[in-house]
Amino acid sequence: MIRKYLAFFRACWAISLEYRAEGFVWMLTNLLSIIMMLVWLSLSSAGPVAGFTSGDFVAYYMVGLIVRHMTGAWTSFDLDTSIREGTLSPQLVRPIHPVHWYVAANWSEKATRLGILLPLVALAFVLTPSAHLDVTPVSVGAFLLSLVGAWLVSFLSDYMIGILSFWTSQTAAFNQVMWGLKLVLSGILAPIQMFPPAVQVVLDWLPFRYMLAFSNEIALGQTQGERLLFGLVVQWAWVAFFFLLTRLMWKLGTRSYSAVGA
Amino acid sequence: MRYLRLLVLFWKASFLVELEYRANFVVRILVGVFWVGVTILSTTVFFTHTNNIGGWDFNEVLVITGLFTLMGGIIQALLQPNVSKIIEMVRLGTLDFVLTKPVNSLFLASLRYSQPFSAVDVLSGSAIVVVALSRMGYIPDGLAVLEFVVMFAMSVLIVYSIWMVMATLSFWFVKVGNLSELFNTVWDTARFPVSTFNGVLRIVLTVVIPIAFITTFPAQAVLGRMDEATLGGAMAMGAILFGFSVWFWRYAVRSYSSASS
Repeated sequence: MIRKYLAFFRACWAISLEYRAEGFVWMLTNLLSIIMMLVWLSLSSAGPVAGFTSGDFVAYYMVGLIVRHMTGAWTSFDLDTSIREGTLSPQLVRPIHPVHWYVAANWSEKATRLGILLPLVALAFVLTPSAHLDVTPVSVGAFLLSLVGAWLVSFLSDYMIGILSFWTSQTAAFNQVMWGLKLVLSGILAPIQMFPPAVQVVLDWLPFRYMLAFSNEIALGQTQGERLLFGLVVQWAWVAFFFLLTRLMWKLGTRSYSAVGA
Repeated sequence: MRYLRLLVLFWKASFLVELEYRANFVVRILVGVFWVGVTILSTTVFFTHTNNIGGWDFNEVLVITGLFTLMGGIIQALLQPNVSKIIEMVRLGTLDFVLTKPVNSLFLASLRYSQPFSAVDVLSGSAIVVVALSRMGYIPDGLAVLEFVVMFAMSVLIVYSIWMVMATLSFWFVKVGNLSELFNTVWDTARFPVSTFNGVLRIVLTVVIPIAFITTFPAQAVLGRMDEATLGGAMAMGAILFGFSVWFWRYAVRSYSSASS
Protein backbone atom coordinates (compact mmCIF):
# COMPACT_ATOMS: atom_id res chain seq x y z
CA MET A 1 0.00 0.00 0.00
CA ILE A 2 2.80 2.39 0.90
CA ARG A 3 4.55 1.68 -2.40
CA LYS A 4 1.35 2.42 -4.29
CA TYR A 5 0.98 5.70 -2.47
CA LEU A 6 4.57 6.65 -3.28
CA ALA A 7 3.90 6.03 -6.95
CA PHE A 8 0.75 8.16 -6.75
CA PHE A 9 2.69 10.92 -5.02
CA ARG A 10 5.32 11.00 -7.72
CA ALA A 11 2.63 11.37 -10.38
CA CYS A 12 0.76 14.07 -8.49
CA TRP A 13 3.97 15.90 -7.67
CA ALA A 14 4.86 16.06 -11.35
CA ILE A 15 1.39 17.40 -12.13
CA SER A 16 1.57 20.12 -9.51
CA LEU A 17 5.08 21.20 -10.54
CA GLU A 18 3.76 21.56 -14.06
CA TYR A 19 1.27 24.16 -12.87
CA ARG A 20 3.36 26.17 -10.45
CA ALA A 21 1.96 29.52 -11.51
CA GLU A 22 -1.50 28.18 -10.83
CA GLY A 23 -0.38 27.30 -7.33
CA PHE A 24 0.61 30.88 -6.76
CA VAL A 25 -2.77 32.20 -7.80
CA TRP A 26 -4.38 29.57 -5.61
CA MET A 27 -2.43 30.91 -2.66
CA LEU A 28 -3.99 34.28 -3.24
CA THR A 29 -7.43 32.78 -2.83
CA ASN A 30 -6.55 32.54 0.84
CA LEU A 31 -7.28 36.25 0.70
CA LEU A 32 -10.82 35.56 1.88
CA SER A 33 -9.59 34.63 5.36
CA ILE A 34 -7.40 37.71 5.38
CA ILE A 35 -10.28 39.92 4.32
CA MET A 36 -12.44 38.58 7.14
CA MET A 37 -9.55 39.15 9.53
CA LEU A 38 -9.29 42.77 8.40
CA VAL A 39 -13.02 43.31 8.89
CA TRP A 40 -12.81 41.96 12.44
CA LEU A 41 -9.67 44.00 13.10
CA SER A 42 -11.55 47.12 12.08
CA LEU A 43 -14.37 46.17 14.49
CA SER A 44 -11.99 45.36 17.36
CA SER A 45 -9.86 48.49 16.99
CA ALA A 46 -11.98 50.22 19.65
CA GLY A 47 -11.79 47.30 22.10
CA PRO A 48 -12.16 43.51 22.35
CA VAL A 49 -15.15 41.94 20.56
CA ALA A 50 -16.74 39.07 22.53
CA GLY A 51 -13.44 38.54 24.34
CA PHE A 52 -11.31 38.66 21.19
CA THR A 53 -8.58 41.29 21.09
CA SER A 54 -7.01 42.36 17.81
CA GLY A 55 -4.13 39.98 18.53
CA ASP A 56 -6.58 37.09 19.00
CA PHE A 57 -8.18 37.78 15.62
CA VAL A 58 -4.77 37.76 13.94
CA ALA A 59 -3.83 34.49 15.69
CA TYR A 60 -7.22 32.94 14.89
CA TYR A 61 -7.11 33.73 11.20
CA MET A 62 -3.42 32.92 10.77
CA VAL A 63 -3.85 29.48 12.34
CA GLY A 64 -7.00 29.27 10.24
CA LEU A 65 -4.96 29.74 7.07
CA ILE A 66 -2.91 26.67 7.93
CA VAL A 67 -5.92 24.61 8.99
CA ARG A 68 -7.84 25.54 5.84
CA HIS A 69 -4.81 24.71 3.77
CA MET A 70 -4.35 21.33 5.41
CA THR A 71 -8.04 20.43 5.21
CA GLY A 72 -8.89 21.80 1.77
CA ALA A 73 -10.70 19.27 -0.43
CA TRP A 74 -11.73 19.44 -4.06
CA THR A 75 -12.29 15.76 -4.80
CA SER A 76 -15.95 16.34 -5.63
CA PHE A 77 -14.98 18.39 -8.71
CA ASP A 78 -12.62 15.71 -10.02
CA LEU A 79 -14.98 12.89 -9.20
CA ASP A 80 -17.92 14.70 -10.80
CA THR A 81 -15.94 15.14 -14.02
CA SER A 82 -14.67 11.54 -14.00
CA ILE A 83 -18.13 10.14 -13.48
CA ARG A 84 -19.76 12.37 -16.07
CA GLU A 85 -17.13 11.88 -18.75
CA GLY A 86 -16.59 8.20 -18.03
CA THR A 87 -12.89 8.46 -17.17
CA LEU A 88 -13.71 6.76 -13.89
CA SER A 89 -14.00 3.41 -15.67
CA PRO A 90 -10.25 2.72 -16.08
CA GLN A 91 -9.78 3.65 -12.43
CA LEU A 92 -12.46 1.21 -11.38
CA VAL A 93 -10.76 -1.77 -12.99
CA ARG A 94 -7.44 -1.08 -11.28
CA PRO A 95 -6.64 -3.28 -8.29
CA ILE A 96 -6.76 -0.28 -5.97
CA HIS A 97 -9.76 1.74 -4.81
CA PRO A 98 -9.91 5.10 -6.69
CA VAL A 99 -10.26 7.02 -3.42
CA HIS A 100 -6.56 6.41 -2.77
CA TRP A 101 -5.68 8.32 -5.88
CA TYR A 102 -7.79 11.26 -4.70
CA VAL A 103 -6.20 11.14 -1.24
CA ALA A 104 -2.71 11.13 -2.74
CA ALA A 105 -3.58 14.04 -5.04
CA ASN A 106 -4.97 15.92 -2.06
CA TRP A 107 -1.86 15.39 0.06
CA SER A 108 0.73 16.14 -2.57
CA GLU A 109 -0.89 19.48 -3.42
CA LYS A 110 -0.80 20.39 0.24
CA ALA A 111 2.87 19.47 0.50
CA THR A 112 3.88 21.63 -2.48
CA ARG A 113 2.19 24.66 -1.06
CA LEU A 114 2.80 24.36 2.65
CA GLY A 115 6.38 25.52 2.15
CA ILE A 116 5.15 28.91 0.96
CA LEU A 117 2.36 29.30 3.49
CA LEU A 118 4.23 28.50 6.72
CA PRO A 119 6.87 31.26 6.47
CA LEU A 120 4.16 33.82 5.66
CA VAL A 121 2.12 32.82 8.72
CA ALA A 122 5.23 32.83 10.90
CA LEU A 123 6.02 36.34 9.66
CA ALA A 124 2.53 37.51 10.59
CA PHE A 125 3.05 36.23 14.15
CA VAL A 126 6.43 37.97 14.39
CA LEU A 127 4.90 41.24 13.19
CA THR A 128 1.98 40.97 15.65
CA PRO A 129 3.43 40.58 19.15
CA SER A 130 -0.08 40.55 20.68
CA ALA A 131 -1.00 37.36 18.80
CA HIS A 132 -0.57 34.47 21.23
CA LEU A 133 -0.73 30.73 20.80
CA ASP A 134 -1.21 28.15 23.52
CA VAL A 135 1.90 26.01 23.20
CA THR A 136 1.72 23.16 25.71
CA PRO A 137 2.26 19.46 24.99
CA VAL A 138 -1.45 18.80 25.54
CA SER A 139 -2.69 21.57 23.26
CA VAL A 140 -0.19 20.80 20.51
CA GLY A 141 -1.11 17.11 20.61
CA ALA A 142 -4.82 17.92 20.66
CA PHE A 143 -4.34 20.42 17.83
CA LEU A 144 -2.67 17.83 15.61
CA LEU A 145 -5.32 15.24 16.40
CA SER A 146 -8.07 17.75 15.65
CA LEU A 147 -6.30 18.72 12.43
CA VAL A 148 -6.35 15.12 11.20
CA GLY A 149 -10.01 14.94 12.21
CA ALA A 150 -10.75 18.23 10.44
CA TRP A 151 -9.11 16.98 7.28
CA LEU A 152 -11.13 13.75 7.42
CA VAL A 153 -14.44 15.53 8.00
CA SER A 154 -13.73 17.98 5.15
CA PHE A 155 -12.38 15.38 2.76
CA LEU A 156 -15.08 12.79 3.41
CA SER A 157 -17.96 15.26 3.22
CA ASP A 158 -16.58 16.60 -0.06
CA TYR A 159 -16.04 13.05 -1.32
CA MET A 160 -19.67 12.35 -0.40
CA ILE A 161 -20.84 15.22 -2.62
CA GLY A 162 -18.62 13.83 -5.37
CA ILE A 163 -20.21 10.40 -5.08
CA LEU A 164 -23.63 12.02 -5.49
CA SER A 165 -22.65 12.54 -9.14
CA PHE A 166 -23.51 8.88 -9.69
CA TRP A 167 -27.16 9.87 -9.39
CA THR A 168 -27.41 13.61 -10.09
CA SER A 169 -25.88 16.21 -12.36
CA GLN A 170 -26.39 18.94 -9.77
CA THR A 171 -23.13 18.39 -7.91
CA ALA A 172 -22.14 22.01 -8.48
CA ALA A 173 -25.27 23.17 -6.65
CA PHE A 174 -24.55 20.84 -3.71
CA ASN A 175 -21.03 22.22 -3.62
CA GLN A 176 -22.33 25.78 -3.55
CA VAL A 177 -24.63 25.02 -0.64
CA MET A 178 -21.82 23.21 1.18
CA TRP A 179 -19.53 26.17 0.64
CA GLY A 180 -22.17 28.58 1.93
CA LEU A 181 -22.66 26.52 5.08
CA LYS A 182 -18.93 26.22 5.61
CA LEU A 183 -18.39 29.93 5.06
CA VAL A 184 -20.75 30.87 7.86
CA LEU A 185 -20.74 27.87 10.20
CA SER A 186 -17.19 26.52 10.14
CA GLY A 187 -15.58 29.72 11.38
CA ILE A 188 -14.31 31.36 8.19
CA LEU A 189 -16.63 34.34 8.36
CA ALA A 190 -16.43 34.71 12.12
CA PRO A 191 -15.08 32.75 15.09
CA ILE A 192 -17.87 30.62 16.58
CA GLN A 193 -17.74 32.72 19.77
CA MET A 194 -19.21 35.63 17.79
CA PHE A 195 -22.52 33.80 17.37
CA PRO A 196 -25.38 34.02 19.88
CA PRO A 197 -25.05 31.33 22.62
CA ALA A 198 -28.03 29.35 21.33
CA VAL A 199 -26.43 29.04 17.90
CA GLN A 200 -23.14 28.00 19.47
CA VAL A 201 -24.83 25.08 21.21
CA VAL A 202 -26.24 23.85 17.91
CA LEU A 203 -22.86 24.27 16.20
CA ASP A 204 -21.27 22.07 18.85
CA TRP A 205 -23.19 19.15 17.37
CA LEU A 206 -22.94 19.92 13.63
CA PRO A 207 -19.90 18.88 11.58
CA PHE A 208 -18.94 22.36 10.34
CA ARG A 209 -17.16 23.65 13.43
CA TYR A 210 -14.93 20.58 13.34
CA MET A 211 -13.65 21.45 9.87
CA LEU A 212 -11.86 24.62 11.01
CA ALA A 213 -12.88 26.60 14.09
CA PHE A 214 -12.35 23.76 16.57
CA SER A 215 -8.66 23.42 15.66
CA ASN A 216 -8.19 27.20 15.75
CA GLU A 217 -9.72 27.37 19.21
CA ILE A 218 -7.37 24.66 20.50
CA ALA A 219 -4.34 26.48 19.10
CA LEU A 220 -5.45 29.69 20.80
CA GLY A 221 -6.07 27.88 24.08
CA GLN A 222 -9.77 28.77 24.07
CA THR A 223 -11.07 25.23 24.15
CA GLN A 224 -9.58 23.16 26.95
CA GLY A 225 -10.30 20.38 29.41
CA GLU A 226 -13.72 18.82 29.24
CA ARG A 227 -14.88 20.91 26.31
CA LEU A 228 -11.82 19.83 24.36
CA LEU A 229 -12.51 16.18 25.07
CA PHE A 230 -16.17 16.60 24.14
CA GLY A 231 -15.16 18.29 20.88
CA LEU A 232 -12.76 15.54 19.90
CA VAL A 233 -15.39 12.89 20.56
CA VAL A 234 -17.98 14.68 18.41
CA GLN A 235 -15.42 15.35 15.70
CA TRP A 236 -14.34 11.73 15.41
CA ALA A 237 -17.94 10.58 15.60
CA TRP A 238 -18.54 12.67 12.46
CA VAL A 239 -15.44 11.14 10.88
CA ALA A 240 -16.84 7.67 11.53
CA PHE A 241 -20.26 8.72 10.23
CA PHE A 242 -18.94 10.12 6.96
CA PHE A 243 -16.58 7.18 6.54
CA LEU A 244 -19.38 4.63 6.79
CA LEU A 245 -21.75 6.75 4.71
CA THR A 246 -19.31 7.25 1.85
CA ARG A 247 -18.42 3.55 1.84
CA LEU A 248 -22.07 2.63 1.54
CA MET A 249 -22.75 5.28 -1.10
CA TRP A 250 -19.74 4.24 -3.14
CA LYS A 251 -20.93 0.64 -3.14
CA LEU A 252 -24.44 1.60 -4.25
CA GLY A 253 -23.11 4.13 -6.76
CA THR A 254 -20.65 1.87 -8.55
CA ARG A 255 -23.27 -0.87 -8.71
CA SER A 256 -25.69 1.35 -10.61
CA TYR A 257 -22.98 3.13 -12.64
CA SER A 258 -23.00 2.71 -16.39
CA ALA A 259 -20.15 4.83 -17.67
CA VAL A 260 -21.19 7.49 -20.12
CA GLY A 261 -18.90 8.04 -23.05
CA ALA A 262 -16.37 5.34 -22.32
CA MET B 1 -29.59 49.07 -34.06
CA ARG B 2 -28.31 45.98 -35.78
CA TYR B 3 -26.29 45.21 -32.69
CA LEU B 4 -29.32 45.57 -30.48
CA ARG B 5 -31.21 43.14 -32.67
CA LEU B 6 -28.31 40.70 -32.48
CA LEU B 7 -28.20 41.04 -28.70
CA VAL B 8 -31.89 40.16 -28.44
CA LEU B 9 -31.26 37.16 -30.69
CA PHE B 10 -28.32 36.00 -28.55
CA TRP B 11 -30.33 36.19 -25.38
CA LYS B 12 -33.27 34.42 -26.93
CA ALA B 13 -31.01 31.59 -28.06
CA SER B 14 -29.43 31.25 -24.60
CA PHE B 15 -32.84 31.27 -23.00
CA LEU B 16 -34.03 28.49 -25.27
CA VAL B 17 -30.94 26.45 -24.41
CA GLU B 18 -31.56 26.88 -20.71
CA LEU B 19 -35.19 25.86 -21.08
CA GLU B 20 -33.86 22.45 -22.07
CA TYR B 21 -32.63 22.05 -18.51
CA ARG B 22 -35.65 23.05 -16.51
CA ALA B 23 -34.56 21.25 -13.35
CA ASN B 24 -31.58 23.62 -13.25
CA PHE B 25 -33.98 26.50 -12.91
CA VAL B 26 -35.56 25.13 -9.75
CA VAL B 27 -32.14 24.32 -8.30
CA ARG B 28 -30.91 27.79 -9.23
CA ILE B 29 -33.81 29.44 -7.39
CA LEU B 30 -33.27 27.29 -4.30
CA VAL B 31 -29.54 28.01 -4.25
CA GLY B 32 -30.26 31.70 -4.83
CA VAL B 33 -32.64 31.86 -1.87
CA PHE B 34 -30.13 29.94 0.24
CA TRP B 35 -27.42 32.51 -0.54
CA VAL B 36 -29.68 35.42 0.33
CA GLY B 37 -30.12 33.77 3.72
CA VAL B 38 -26.39 33.20 4.12
CA THR B 39 -25.58 36.79 3.19
CA ILE B 40 -28.12 38.37 5.51
CA LEU B 41 -27.20 36.04 8.37
CA SER B 42 -23.53 36.82 8.02
CA THR B 43 -24.23 40.54 8.10
CA THR B 44 -26.26 39.97 11.26
CA VAL B 45 -23.32 38.23 12.93
CA PHE B 46 -21.21 41.36 12.59
CA PHE B 47 -23.97 43.59 13.86
CA THR B 48 -24.54 41.63 17.05
CA HIS B 49 -21.21 43.10 18.19
CA THR B 50 -21.25 46.56 16.69
CA ASN B 51 -23.67 49.15 15.42
CA ASN B 52 -21.61 50.09 12.40
CA ILE B 53 -19.07 48.69 9.98
CA GLY B 54 -16.81 51.40 8.62
CA GLY B 55 -19.43 53.99 9.59
CA TRP B 56 -22.35 52.21 7.88
CA ASP B 57 -25.25 50.95 9.98
CA PHE B 58 -27.10 47.65 9.46
CA ASN B 59 -29.62 48.86 6.89
CA GLU B 60 -26.99 50.73 4.93
CA VAL B 61 -24.72 47.69 4.83
CA LEU B 62 -27.79 45.74 3.69
CA VAL B 63 -28.04 48.08 0.68
CA ILE B 64 -24.43 47.20 -0.17
CA THR B 65 -25.17 43.50 0.36
CA GLY B 66 -28.11 43.76 -2.03
CA LEU B 67 -26.01 45.47 -4.69
CA PHE B 68 -23.35 42.80 -4.14
CA THR B 69 -25.88 40.03 -4.82
CA LEU B 70 -27.32 41.92 -7.79
CA MET B 71 -23.95 42.47 -9.43
CA GLY B 72 -22.97 38.87 -8.69
CA GLY B 73 -26.07 37.84 -10.63
CA ILE B 74 -25.10 40.02 -13.59
CA ILE B 75 -21.61 38.52 -13.59
CA GLN B 76 -23.00 34.97 -13.46
CA ALA B 77 -25.64 35.62 -16.08
CA LEU B 78 -23.73 37.67 -18.64
CA LEU B 79 -19.98 37.71 -18.09
CA GLN B 80 -18.85 34.36 -16.71
CA PRO B 81 -20.33 32.23 -19.54
CA ASN B 82 -18.65 34.34 -22.22
CA VAL B 83 -15.32 34.57 -20.45
CA SER B 84 -15.07 30.82 -20.02
CA LYS B 85 -16.13 30.43 -23.65
CA ILE B 86 -13.43 32.85 -24.81
CA ILE B 87 -10.78 30.96 -22.85
CA GLU B 88 -11.97 27.70 -24.37
CA MET B 89 -12.07 29.14 -27.89
CA VAL B 90 -8.54 30.49 -27.63
CA ARG B 91 -7.32 27.12 -26.39
CA LEU B 92 -9.08 25.12 -29.10
CA GLY B 93 -8.54 27.60 -31.90
CA THR B 94 -12.25 28.03 -32.59
CA LEU B 95 -11.96 31.77 -31.99
CA ASP B 96 -11.43 31.99 -35.75
CA PHE B 97 -15.16 31.57 -36.21
CA VAL B 98 -15.76 34.68 -34.13
CA LEU B 99 -13.07 36.76 -35.78
CA THR B 100 -14.23 36.01 -39.33
CA LYS B 101 -17.83 37.08 -38.74
CA PRO B 102 -18.86 40.51 -40.02
CA VAL B 103 -19.50 41.92 -36.54
CA ASN B 104 -17.31 43.60 -33.96
CA SER B 105 -15.37 40.66 -32.51
CA LEU B 106 -15.38 41.92 -28.91
CA PHE B 107 -19.15 42.44 -29.06
CA LEU B 108 -19.70 38.94 -30.40
CA ALA B 109 -17.22 37.23 -28.08
CA SER B 110 -18.29 38.99 -24.90
CA LEU B 111 -22.09 38.98 -25.25
CA ARG B 112 -22.90 35.87 -27.26
CA TYR B 113 -23.75 33.59 -24.34
CA SER B 114 -25.75 34.07 -21.18
CA GLN B 115 -27.30 32.11 -18.34
CA PRO B 116 -30.70 33.75 -17.95
CA PHE B 117 -31.54 31.66 -14.88
CA SER B 118 -28.78 33.42 -12.93
CA ALA B 119 -30.95 36.51 -13.16
CA VAL B 120 -32.56 35.09 -10.02
CA ASP B 121 -29.75 36.79 -8.09
CA VAL B 122 -30.50 40.08 -9.83
CA LEU B 123 -34.07 39.88 -8.55
CA SER B 124 -33.14 38.82 -5.01
CA GLY B 125 -30.42 41.47 -4.82
CA SER B 126 -32.85 44.18 -5.89
CA ALA B 127 -35.32 42.90 -3.32
CA ILE B 128 -32.70 43.21 -0.55
CA VAL B 129 -31.99 46.81 -1.58
CA VAL B 130 -35.68 47.71 -1.60
CA VAL B 131 -36.28 46.06 1.78
CA ALA B 132 -33.26 47.83 3.29
CA LEU B 133 -34.40 51.21 1.99
CA SER B 134 -37.94 50.72 3.25
CA ARG B 135 -36.64 49.60 6.67
CA MET B 136 -34.92 52.97 6.86
CA GLY B 137 -38.17 54.65 5.81
CA TYR B 138 -36.13 56.39 3.14
CA ILE B 139 -37.27 57.22 -0.37
CA PRO B 140 -34.48 58.43 -2.65
CA ASP B 141 -35.28 61.72 -4.39
CA GLY B 142 -34.93 62.32 -8.13
CA LEU B 143 -31.31 63.42 -7.93
CA ALA B 144 -30.31 60.38 -5.88
CA VAL B 145 -32.01 58.07 -8.37
CA LEU B 146 -30.30 59.80 -11.28
CA GLU B 147 -26.90 59.59 -9.60
CA PHE B 148 -27.53 55.97 -8.74
CA VAL B 149 -28.34 55.13 -12.36
CA VAL B 150 -25.11 56.75 -13.51
CA MET B 151 -23.01 55.10 -10.80
CA PHE B 152 -24.61 51.73 -11.42
CA ALA B 153 -24.01 51.96 -15.16
CA MET B 154 -20.39 52.81 -14.42
CA SER B 155 -20.04 49.86 -12.06
CA VAL B 156 -21.41 47.49 -14.71
CA LEU B 157 -18.96 48.97 -17.21
CA ILE B 158 -16.06 48.53 -14.77
CA VAL B 159 -16.95 44.93 -13.98
CA TYR B 160 -17.33 44.18 -17.69
CA SER B 161 -13.93 45.69 -18.44
CA ILE B 162 -12.18 43.77 -15.66
CA TRP B 163 -13.64 40.47 -16.86
CA MET B 164 -12.76 41.17 -20.47
CA VAL B 165 -9.17 42.01 -19.57
CA MET B 166 -8.99 38.70 -17.68
CA ALA B 167 -10.42 36.85 -20.67
CA THR B 168 -8.00 38.56 -23.02
CA LEU B 169 -5.09 37.41 -20.88
CA SER B 170 -5.94 33.88 -22.02
CA PHE B 171 -4.32 34.69 -25.37
CA TRP B 172 -0.98 34.39 -23.56
CA PHE B 173 -1.73 32.23 -20.51
CA VAL B 174 -3.64 29.06 -21.05
CA LYS B 175 -4.85 28.59 -17.50
CA VAL B 176 -6.79 31.74 -16.74
CA GLY B 177 -9.42 29.85 -14.77
CA ASN B 178 -7.56 30.55 -11.58
CA LEU B 179 -7.48 34.23 -12.36
CA SER B 180 -11.25 34.41 -12.20
CA GLU B 181 -10.99 32.56 -8.88
CA LEU B 182 -8.76 35.38 -7.74
CA PHE B 183 -11.29 37.92 -8.87
CA ASN B 184 -13.96 36.04 -6.95
CA THR B 185 -11.93 36.35 -3.77
CA VAL B 186 -11.21 40.04 -4.11
CA TRP B 187 -14.86 40.33 -5.10
CA ASP B 188 -15.83 39.23 -1.60
CA THR B 189 -14.55 42.55 -0.24
CA ALA B 190 -17.44 44.14 -2.14
CA ARG B 191 -19.79 42.81 0.57
CA PHE B 192 -18.48 45.52 2.88
CA PRO B 193 -18.27 49.28 2.58
CA VAL B 194 -14.79 50.16 1.41
CA SER B 195 -14.35 52.32 4.53
CA THR B 196 -14.11 49.07 6.54
CA PHE B 197 -10.60 48.67 5.29
CA ASN B 198 -7.74 50.86 6.33
CA GLY B 199 -4.73 52.43 4.74
CA VAL B 200 -3.17 50.81 1.74
CA LEU B 201 -5.90 48.25 1.19
CA ARG B 202 -8.57 50.94 0.88
CA ILE B 203 -6.50 52.71 -1.74
CA VAL B 204 -5.90 49.42 -3.58
CA LEU B 205 -9.62 48.61 -3.54
CA THR B 206 -10.46 52.07 -4.87
CA VAL B 207 -7.81 52.68 -7.48
CA VAL B 208 -6.01 49.43 -8.39
CA ILE B 209 -8.85 46.90 -8.20
CA PRO B 210 -11.78 49.30 -8.24
CA ILE B 211 -14.10 47.24 -6.02
CA ALA B 212 -15.27 50.41 -4.26
CA PHE B 213 -16.87 51.66 -7.49
CA ILE B 214 -18.90 48.50 -7.82
CA THR B 215 -20.95 48.42 -4.60
CA THR B 216 -19.94 51.13 -2.15
CA PHE B 217 -20.27 54.13 -4.44
CA PRO B 218 -23.60 53.18 -6.05
CA ALA B 219 -24.93 52.56 -2.52
CA GLN B 220 -23.76 56.02 -1.51
CA ALA B 221 -25.55 57.42 -4.54
CA VAL B 222 -28.89 55.82 -3.76
CA LEU B 223 -28.56 56.97 -0.15
CA GLY B 224 -28.07 60.53 -1.44
CA ARG B 225 -24.47 60.88 -0.26
CA MET B 226 -22.74 61.39 -3.54
CA ASP B 227 -20.21 64.13 -4.08
CA GLU B 228 -19.12 65.47 -7.47
CA ALA B 229 -15.57 64.21 -7.08
CA THR B 230 -16.65 60.58 -6.68
CA LEU B 231 -19.17 60.91 -9.49
CA GLY B 232 -16.54 62.31 -11.82
CA GLY B 233 -14.01 59.75 -10.64
CA ALA B 234 -16.40 56.90 -11.41
CA MET B 235 -17.08 58.16 -14.92
CA ALA B 236 -13.36 58.57 -15.54
CA MET B 237 -12.64 55.11 -14.10
CA GLY B 238 -15.35 53.53 -16.25
CA ALA B 239 -14.15 55.24 -19.41
CA ILE B 240 -10.48 54.45 -18.80
CA LEU B 241 -11.05 50.80 -17.95
CA PHE B 242 -13.46 50.25 -20.84
CA GLY B 243 -11.08 51.97 -23.24
CA PHE B 244 -8.22 49.83 -21.99
CA SER B 245 -10.16 46.58 -22.30
CA VAL B 246 -11.15 47.42 -25.90
CA TRP B 247 -7.57 48.35 -26.78
CA PHE B 248 -6.19 45.24 -25.07
CA TRP B 249 -8.62 42.99 -26.94
CA ARG B 250 -7.67 44.53 -30.30
CA TYR B 251 -3.99 44.20 -29.46
CA ALA B 252 -4.47 40.55 -28.51
CA VAL B 253 -6.47 39.73 -31.63
CA ARG B 254 -3.81 41.34 -33.83
CA SER B 255 -1.07 39.20 -32.34
CA TYR B 256 -3.24 36.07 -32.30
CA SER B 257 -2.12 33.21 -34.47
CA SER B 258 -4.83 30.61 -34.55
CA ALA B 259 -4.05 27.34 -32.83
CA SER B 260 -5.99 25.11 -35.18
CA SER B 261 -4.87 26.11 -38.63
